[in-house]
Amino acid sequence: MKVSKNELMASLKKAFEGLGFHPGDYYDAADMVVWLETHGLDGFDRLQAALAYLNTTGPTHAELIEEDNSYSVLDGNDSSILLCGSEAIDLLSAQIMEGSAAGLQLNNCYNRTFILQRLVKAAQRDLAFIAYWRQDACCIKVSIAAGTDLPEHQTFSMAEEVDPQSLTVFAGTDLAIVEQQFSEQIAIGELIETYSAAEMSICYQDSVEQGIEIDEVLWSTLEGLVERILVESTESSRAGAGD
Amino acid sequence: MQTDGKPRVLPLRPASQVMRLERLGSFHQSRLSFMRTLMRRMVIENWQITSPVFDLDDQGYGTVVYQVDAKFGTFSYVLFSHYLDPDSRNDRVIANQWDLTMALCEGNVDADQLAFLRTNVPKQEAGRVDSRVLVLSRANRSGRTFEYVVDELAEGRQPCIDVIAEVGYLYRTTAAYGSGKLGMADWEKVRTKHPDFARPFAAEMFTCFMLRHFSMQQADYLAAQRAPEKAVILDEDIKRYIGIGNSTGLGMAPFLINHPMLINQWIEMRETALARVILASESGVDESIFVRLAASVQRVIQHLGEIVTADERQSSSNILVRNDLVLLHQWLQDETPTLVRENYVWANLVEYAERSCHLETQEVINTLLIELYPELVDDLEEHMGVDESIRVMPEMSVAQLLQIIEDKYDWALAIDFSQYESMGAFWYRSQEKMEPRLGQTNIDMGMEKEMPMAVGRRVRECYDQVSAYNLTCPQQNVAHFIMRNPNYSGIVGRVQTMAQRPYGDIRENLVHSDVLPIHLLRCKLSFFGVSKFDPRSRLWVRNTMFQGAPLISDFGKPFADDWQFPIKPILTSG
Repeated sequence: MKVSKNELMASLKKAFEGLGFHPGDYYDAADMVVWLETHGLDGFDRLQAALAYLNTTGPTHAELIEEDNSYSVLDGNDSSILLCGSEAIDLLSAQIMEGSAAGLQLNNCYNRTFILQRLVKAAQRDLAFIAYWRQDACCIKVSIAAGTDLPEHQTFSMAEEVDPQSLTVFAGTDLAIVEQQFSEQIAIGELIETYSAAEMSICYQDSVEQGIEIDEVLWSTLEGLVERILVESTESSRAGAGD
Repeated sequence: MQTDGKPRVLPLRPASQVMRLERLGSFHQSRLSFMRTLMRRMVIENWQITSPVFDLDDQGYGTVVYQVDAKFGTFSYVLFSHYLDPDSRNDRVIANQWDLTMALCEGNVDADQLAFLRTNVPKQEAGRVDSRVLVLSRANRSGRTFEYVVDELAEGRQPCIDVIAEVGYLYRTTAAYGSGKLGMADWEKVRTKHPDFARPFAAEMFTCFMLRHFSMQQADYLAAQRAPEKAVILDEDIKRYIGIGNSTGLGMAPFLINHPMLINQWIEMRETALARVILASESGVDESIFVRLAASVQRVIQHLGEIVTADERQSSSNILVRNDLVLLHQWLQDETPTLVRENYVWANLVEYAERSCHLETQEVINTLLIELYPELVDDLEEHMGVDESIRVMPEMSVAQLLQIIEDKYDWALAIDFSQYESMGAFWYRSQEKMEPRLGQTNIDMGMEKEMPMAVGRRVRECYDQVSAYNLTCPQQNVAHFIMRNPNYSGIVGRVQTMAQRPYGDIRENLVHSDVLPIHLLRCKLSFFGVSKFDPRSRLWVRNTMFQGAPLISDFGKPFADDWQFPIKPILTSG
């Protein structure tokens, strides 16, 4: 079945609310899922993987473990980027605005591809980012220039051992400088695949024009989560609607 | 406009005055209301509307497709007319059958799509449509007017205008869904692909306008079916006086809380219009403008006198406003030459009204002043949309965040939430179609599933938390506060974003025991452009859309754009 972006956003917000997310968190999480799906990065598949975890535990956020002027280490407490991605990128953004470049390592976190939407949003404030993490036997590098709307998503072979559940993000005001900082600290393997901003744009335009295809089982799962925030209708509650 | 070479600052009213719930609930439609701007566009651009399919049986049931050739594109308005048992006629959102169901679609509709729509549109929320559909809507007949009008026409008579005036419409719409609901086109698609409807709620308003057109066409059709030899068609002046009824309940209320950026934009444009008008009067006001104001005041007096409502509060308000306006009208009649001579400015009238008149009168006067200067106002209609992103500014110091809350949300900090009444109500979504409802704290079920409508209380809680954090971690920024207190990120982002947008947050405790949600509904409806508010309780209101508006047959003709505050027509055709 096909749904619209607004409809999907509304459903996801309520579904995340049903999972115990707070306002703010459920807006951000819904934004992250919709962004990935509408830009061709399998947002729904990643959501299903996330739901398996989120449905069994209360919302958990990241913790700041250590910090200096330009580098922070966070413990994601085995949480999803849907919950801890925003605060991590906000922390990094604040650091850049106080200095010229900064980096962040977020350990013990899952569903890291969702970080793309947070990077895109933060880039609107004239900040540039490079995010890097291990995905199975490969590594993913995502770059976005300051003030631009879309990132570049690249897959590399793994040149050195990378923690399987960590996310590293470098940031600054100029992507070239961030790239230099990144290459000084991270050894990457060979480029396997590039998913370009142009390809993302085409995918997004198609979703606006045609709607978004969603598996009925997933839609039904979301509806089940939405049910959790609804209150049983009774004669007396109908009076609360004007009857 | 400049004085001494310095640009003049527009005298915008402060949010502390404008954003009170009761004042918002006193707003009337203006030139910037969505029905008004849509109507200007349709008439001036001479939209062509034909009906390639008009397939109704002798009872008026069947299918109609209107083809709409607007300035930039072609659209189809598809309508299904069904038999409805009178006992099943229900205006509430929880209804599942209606007399009419409609869809506004992009382009032309072929046989396959029509069959798809016939399967899904009558089901409304229980069906699914696709991204070719822009709006889905439904309507019920008025039990008081529809059959009466058809009977009169079939008898060869025009209906009595007093009967029409008492109701104002032949059909009531109970919902007009757009913006991607049920698989429809997203607002982003409508905005970027269809410039004819690229303003907030333009497509939804058009759907209601077409319903009005059909309602009268169907009445004419049924009269002719019943008495082909004898029937007459509705007089055009009566047709212009027939609108569309609307019932609006709590479903609309969360919109105003969940879209603070948009609400800020709408109200800021309205306030900008008023400020421009007030500033312009400093260059002098012609006698002709005073004469026009007096005429429009007289019209509102008549309009309010013709409203039928059983609601005591609204009825008393209408009387008070009429009394105020009678005095204003008399004053304008007596004093206009002096006012012209002494360079009277509108700021004085606004101040007088604020000192001496009922709240609703003040807003009527503001609306009428805006009406006098289309050349100063109408460009603002292009600025009613906005990017609605709420952003956390993580670099802001915690001390600055506290300062913002103290400066911009002083109204929230002034509420004593330790009082039971201050948290005596809560908003929740019902299992019945997710309908928003208002519950009583500690009496009704569902408090633990409360919707985040209590912005004031959330700000208070955030302020207390930030204050405590600031004591232990001074010099820190918002990013660090959120790291430690992630549950506050939503309200922090809202406070930071809305700090620069004064008209976005309603300055009232929306969970007080005595809250009047009807003010929220009325505020939004005023931006739609409805009239004749008839509250049926503190939770829902009936009103009239497009009453007094031009007909399709008026498109392309000279247009005075003065159909606001509709009054009974004086019939010339006998």
